[in-house]
Amino acid sequence: MLSGDFNLKAVRVIKELLDDRKALAVDLTNSRFVNSKAIIFLHKLMTGKPAVDVRLKNPPKVFFELLTTLQLHKVWELDNIIEP
Amino acid sequence: MEAHIYLEAEIPMVGSATDFTYKWCVNMGLQPDEAARMALAADEILTDIVLYAYPEEAGYIEIWYQYSFSEIEIIIQENGEPFDPGKYLYSLEKAMNENNFDGASQEIVRKMTDQFLFLNRGKDGKEFRLMKRFVSDDIRKTVGKGNEIADADHPGNVANQYLITPVTSEDAEDIAKLIYRSYSYTYSKEELYFPKRIEMAIRHNYKFGTIVRTESDVPAGYFAVLMSTDSLIGEVGEAVVSPTHRNRGLMKRMMNKLIEMSRERGLLGLFGEAVTVHTFSQKVNETYGFKSTALVITSSQKRVFKGLKTEPSDIMSVVVEFLPLSSRRRKPVILPDTYSDLLTEIYRQFRTVPAETSEANTSQKEHEGTNLDLNINYEKESALIIVRDVGTAFEASCNRMLRSIEDVKLLAVYIDLPLNQPRTDSAIQWLKEKEFILAGLMPLFHKETDYLRMQKIRVPVDFSLIQTHSDIAGKIKDRIQLEYNALHKEKGEA
Repeated sequence: MLSGDFNLKAVRVIKELLDDRKALAVDLTNSRFVNSKAIIFLHKLMTGKPAVDVRLKNPPKVFFELLTTLQLHKVWELDNIIEP
Repeated sequence: MEAHIYLEAEIPMVGSATDFTYKWCVNMGLQPDEAARMALAADEILTDIVLYAYPEEAGYIEIWYQYSFSEIEIIIQENGEPFDPGKYLYSLEKAMNENNFDGASQEIVRKMTDQFLFLNRGKDGKEFRLMKRFVSDDIRKTVGKGNEIADADHPGNVANQYLITPVTSEDAEDIAKLIYRSYSYTYSKEELYFPKRIEMAIRHNYKFGTIVRTESDVPAGYFAVLMSTDSLIGEVGEAVVSPTHRNRGLMKRMMNKLIEMSRERGLLGLFGEAVTVHTFSQKVNETYGFKSTALVITSSQKRVFKGLKTEPSDIMSVVVEFLPLSSRRRKPVILPDTYSDLLTEIYRQFRTVPAETSEANTSQKEHEGTNLDLNINYEKESALIIVRDVGTAFEASCNRMLRSIEDVKLLAVYIDLPLNQPRTDSAIQWLKEKEFILAGLMPLFHKETDYLRMQKIRVPVDFSLIQTHSDIAGKIKDRIQLEYNALHKEKGEA
């Protein structure tokens, strides 16, 4: 679970912890926002070779707005990415 | 409250700054979702500055948090590597095919804010301005049309006794209703139709004032002073008496109470901006001892005034009128040669005038550097440049500032020059070459110092529609008209 916003600092920490794991689950209950650097990081993980399986829990409302702004809502498989 | 922070351009500082941004936005009245959007916008800009403006060197970022009754603005300044935002446009195609997300941050910032401006001030650095308007209920929509004559204006509510008390944030809705019922849609200050904005402004001490109620607690009048955030002065800016309760001396009682309250708060002076489509407000101000000091021309949508025979106009000029509240010694002034005759006449109206000093008595070294601040009024589509110091490089700095706002849709640009610095006269000459004309004296307007305002109007001005009352206001108008006509003649010849 992230203790704050999903920003560049959090990306750097996760990147280090992730190493060569094949799955990443992030609980965003405490995040007010997810920034573009985090979105790009997740996108690269999901489309990389090998791809990382990304799961997000409780993303803030603004996260969906961000995806729409960058038109990634058409590309990301949100039903699989967002945990119920 | 306004805030200013100065931080090292390092990634760990970004989180601290966005935390502060979020909390400040909530405190100033934004809903948590909206505050998160502003915090995200600030995060995007700050992260990019750390990554790209200062990639290998240490640097600093300054952030200003500014509040007005209808919006908040966050200004982020840095002096890092040059950057052209036009070159970075987000494209989904590039993102998908080349993993190139250039421009994503800017796209997001635009989406998260109501207005995003990037100002390149050359050697003076870069400036990112993020603005968000307050969203709240509009009294014009919540008060039904069939219910316009109610409460205060009900004929049965005429009172013999009135109670004048200081306003509190709980009076906000009554104030908005008073404005709506008295002026319908024609009151010039939009924010007074939004109870939440009034409530926040009173709660944060941006305004104080009086409300008049009848014996049966029906609101009948309201008058407020808007505090300057830059000097110990206030504007007598919001006044209304419900039509049923007019001609009962309520305005006079409220004005006297406001002057008393302003003195108690230690204000050095009050100013009013009296419209010039009629002279009624100017005459009222005169009876309380206000003196005309400037004529500021601004633009507005064509509008007519309820109950007054006025011509609809594109321009909405105001006579600035000042009432000193303290006989405390004022900072000495250096009268610039260009306007020394007129300024002397303006000053002569007041009992206590600042001492005149000569350039020789002023240390040039004090003001070697140039220091400019920019305020943009998005609602009025105007900008005010405050010259804190007229340094040796004033012309270059001011030119960069003017160039940086060239692409911003502005109908008027004002420049306030300090009247206590020796280079002000040469700055005036240069500004005249840049098509600025006089506006007048702005007493104690910034940091308790007298300023001279110059103005550049980008819409045609019909001076026959500008009505002035006092002799001095008439003289100021004549001088401005002379400069305006000369400027337009020159332009016509060119």
